[in-house]
Amino acid sequence: MPIVYKKQRAVLKESVAMEVAEDLFAWLQKNPKGSIDLANCTHLHTAVLQVLVALRPAIAIWPKDEALRAWLHPVLSASKP
Amino acid sequence: MNPLLQQFIQEGRDLLQGSAESLMALERDPQDVESLVKLFRAVHTLKGNSGFFDFPAMTQVLHAAEDVLDEVRSGSMPFTNELADIQLEVLDLVSMQLDEVEQNKGILSDQYTSFSQALVRRLRILRDPEAADATNFEASQTDKLDDFVEPEALLRCPEEIRMDAFREAARGQTLLWVTYEPDEGAFYQKEDPFGRMRAIPGVLWGTFEERFPWVDLDTMDCYHCNLDFHALVAGSEFDVLDYFRESIDYVRYGQVSPLFLIRPEGEENGGPLFEDFSAEAFLALERGDWEGLRASVQTVLELSASTLWVSSVLRWLLVVLEEMPDAHVLQETLLMAVHTHELPPIRDVAIRPGSRPVAPAEVTPPISDEDEACVHALLDAQREILGLPDGVEWIDGRLRATVASIRGCHKVAGRSVEGLDEALAAALAVHSATPLSHWLQDAIEHPRRALTQEVQQVSTRPVEPEDLLEDAYPRPVVLTDGPSRGQSPPIPLPASTSTPAPIREPIAPAPVQEESRVVKKADEPVTVKVLKVEQTKVDRLMNLIGELVVAKNSLPYLAGRAENLYGVRELGREIKAEFSVINRIAEEMQDAIMQVRMMPVSFVFQRFPRLVRDISRQMSKEVVLSLEGEETQADKNVIEAMADPLMHAIRNSLDHGFEPPDERERLGKSREGHLLIRAHSESDRVTIEVIDDGRGIDVQRIRDKAREKGLVDEQTLERMTDDEALQLVFLPGLSTAKTITSVSGRGVGMDVVRSTLAQFGGGVHLSSELGKGTRLRLSLPLSMAVNHVMIVESNAQIFGIPMEAIVETVRVPQDRVQGIKDQHTTVLRGKIIPLVSLNSLLALDKPQVLNEEGEIAVLVVWLGTEQVGLIVDSFRDVMDVILKPLPGELGSIPCYAGSALLGDGSVLMVLNPSQLF
Repeated sequence: MPIVYKKQRAVLKESVAMEVAEDLFAWLQKNPKGSIDLANCTHLHTAVLQVLVALRPAIAIWPKDEALRAWLHPVLSASKP
Repeated sequence: MNPLLQQFIQEGRDLLQGSAESLMALERDPQDVESLVKLFRAVHTLKGNSGFFDFPAMTQVLHAAEDVLDEVRSGSMPFTNELADIQLEVLDLVSMQLDEVEQNKGILSDQYTSFSQALVRRLRILRDPEAADATNFEASQTDKLDDFVEPEALLRCPEEIRMDAFREAARGQTLLWVTYEPDEGAFYQKEDPFGRMRAIPGVLWGTFEERFPWVDLDTMDCYHCNLDFHALVAGSEFDVLDYFRESIDYVRYGQVSPLFLIRPEGEENGGPLFEDFSAEAFLALERGDWEGLRASVQTVLELSASTLWVSSVLRWLLVVLEEMPDAHVLQETLLMAVHTHELPPIRDVAIRPGSRPVAPAEVTPPISDEDEACVHALLDAQREILGLPDGVEWIDGRLRATVASIRGCHKVAGRSVEGLDEALAAALAVHSATPLSHWLQDAIEHPRRALTQEVQQVSTRPVEPEDLLEDAYPRPVVLTDGPSRGQSPPIPLPASTSTPAPIREPIAPAPVQEESRVVKKADEPVTVKVLKVEQTKVDRLMNLIGELVVAKNSLPYLAGRAENLYGVRELGREIKAEFSVINRIAEEMQDAIMQVRMMPVSFVFQRFPRLVRDISRQMSKEVVLSLEGEETQADKNVIEAMADPLMHAIRNSLDHGFEPPDERERLGKSREGHLLIRAHSESDRVTIEVIDDGRGIDVQRIRDKAREKGLVDEQTLERMTDDEALQLVFLPGLSTAKTITSVSGRGVGMDVVRSTLAQFGGGVHLSSELGKGTRLRLSLPLSMAVNHVMIVESNAQIFGIPMEAIVETVRVPQDRVQGIKDQHTTVLRGKIIPLVSLNSLLALDKPQVLNEEGEIAVLVVWLGTEQVGLIVDSFRDVMDVILKPLPGELGSIPCYAGSALLGDGSVLMVLNPSQLF
């Protein structure tokens, strides 16, 4: 599975598919303090990305994938507007 | 040449011919709406078709032509003769391109690219008179870019990436800022905008933001796309256009000046270190001691904290020294920044629109108020620099640099630089800035217009690094004057509904016309080898032939009657002889007409390699596609009906079927997945299979989901075999999330696939093995098939059996029939063949009739890979029939393949053996 939910952390791995969005959204609603581990993530479907943009959970670990990190970091590291 | 391309060329020629006629009609009567609509459709179709191939030069010009026609159609633009001229030129150009494509077997060289670009420009000018005022579309593009490019967004880009981009640009790459605002429902079309952006060829970096703030997060719809994307791309706009050709309406782009990337960042802090350094560095710059300069920059960088703003400037300086060793003005500007702790405003207007590097006969735009202000500011700065004390060693370099800046500003503003060189010479002679100060003062107070030619010469010569500073500004125009110049409204995006532009007589720039005039000689002979016929005509012919086939079948009856009823055996024989002749001709006719309507499935298959490549790359999966049976032919309608469902199936396989390469490796599979698309024809059906070796489908999950959703009741579910349960995927509303990720996105689609196929009397079957792969089998009937059927008799009725299904016919003595449990069997050539009576299969309560010798008639048929003996009463002859699907409800009875009309007017029911048992 590209996503594993731990107590307070959702671990996203590899290429995360669109269907995860709904799930992740629900999880973040339930765990507002939950953080995200993107270490081994290579791609997020736009729907999943959108959930992160909307809810701005803390990103605990940024992706190792440099290119992905360069896209995500400037936007998601900023505090919620 | 491949058939798809061939078809495109043929169709293209016809459309061009039709368009030319419509244009002529419009010229005679500009109010002729019908011709206008016809013309628009033709151009639209051409554009769409050309998009299938790699002909960006053709697609672009057609797109521009279509936009103009759209405005004319909506009434916001008049149809003028000039417009007709340009449109005719477009048609000629496309016609020449088609000729070339045909000659070069599908390759379009770039020999017409400049023509097509010039035409595109003229069409845009025509469409937006404001832009015509400016006589340059790029000027208004700048404003348009200002509308959508948020330079701040680009500056979120990490410095290293900006530096990489700068290097790319310095090596001649064009930098584009691409904005993609996907449709809200994009996800439902299996679109992943983020993935798409990341996979743009040459993408360096990108960012995104929400389109509208989410009002209520609790009710947020995850599958409603609310993100806009931007990317910095090093590549040509053609590539970008081509890449986004399916969603071009949602994409904008503009060129980014590399200078814009130079924005140092960091803490504002300096120190004596930098003071010393800058003095030394200016000296090195003046002497042309690049090595020394580079070395000292390096040293200072090592000594200072990397987070300082000044350090960032120095890093940029290093990059510039390396990549643009001749851009002295830029280098000096950066050095000055180290000194003054601020960078002059070279960056403010640095994003320039998508101009081509060497645009034919580019005409310079008017300068906007904003730009005018910048020029002023720059000139003021130069005046200040000239006002600095003269007694420094590097005064000569400073003077030259100032002159370069002044010259640039003047070029941009379209002013004359007459006398500047003399002033420079004088200043250099006395090592003083005074002569230049005077000249500049005079120039600021009495600006003089430059000659047109001079400006054009400037703008058409290749860009040199030194020019980059000037290039940071929009190109000037010299033709307009007075307060009317200024900001032009943004050019409407292609195909977007735009506010109608005020209608004015457009001013077409003369030089553009000269270069782009594309004339095709009217007397060139056009050879037509292919006749294009309307489908209705073919259909009529086909129906007539069908009737002939039926009519001819009545001849044997007639012969029989002549013999038996009227007792004229001779006549009967002659009729039979004639029948065999007519029969042969009718058969050939039938074959010929079918050929006319037949197309190979490769017509649809051709798009797949590209589709698979694009999607798999987007999903970062490795997939090898193999196609089999491309030559399988089927009726045109059938082929067309298959295209969409197939596309869907392929997307599903790629999206959900295949595991990512790493996961595959872990599972002991090959890294790359194999996708096989196989076509073959089978009696009256064409079958296409999409087979992947991905993760397969978990039947249990589908059962659970169906239960959960209440789509199927518990009992039915219990009774279902795994295979049947698998077919539940085709139910509408079996939505998925995690459940059926391996099949389909959100349950949108599979039911559509099934219903689309059902419309055409086709079917779809899914089989899958968990972990091994999935096979989707689409089958469609041929709308009209000539079937050889064998007629058999049972219970005093006749039935047809397709010859393809028949293995042999045998008479079996009754004593050779053995019973195994309840099943009758016999042994044929050492093989046990189960025997089933047709009457029992059709629920007819009659025993089969034996012949005089007490033998039973057994028709051995294929049942999948097995052979089964069908017991009938007797065999009749083999006949050609036109199989028609049963109408209405009857069509859903699977054991009949259809019906056919016989020569004596009776109806023959044709059985489908595979569904009988």
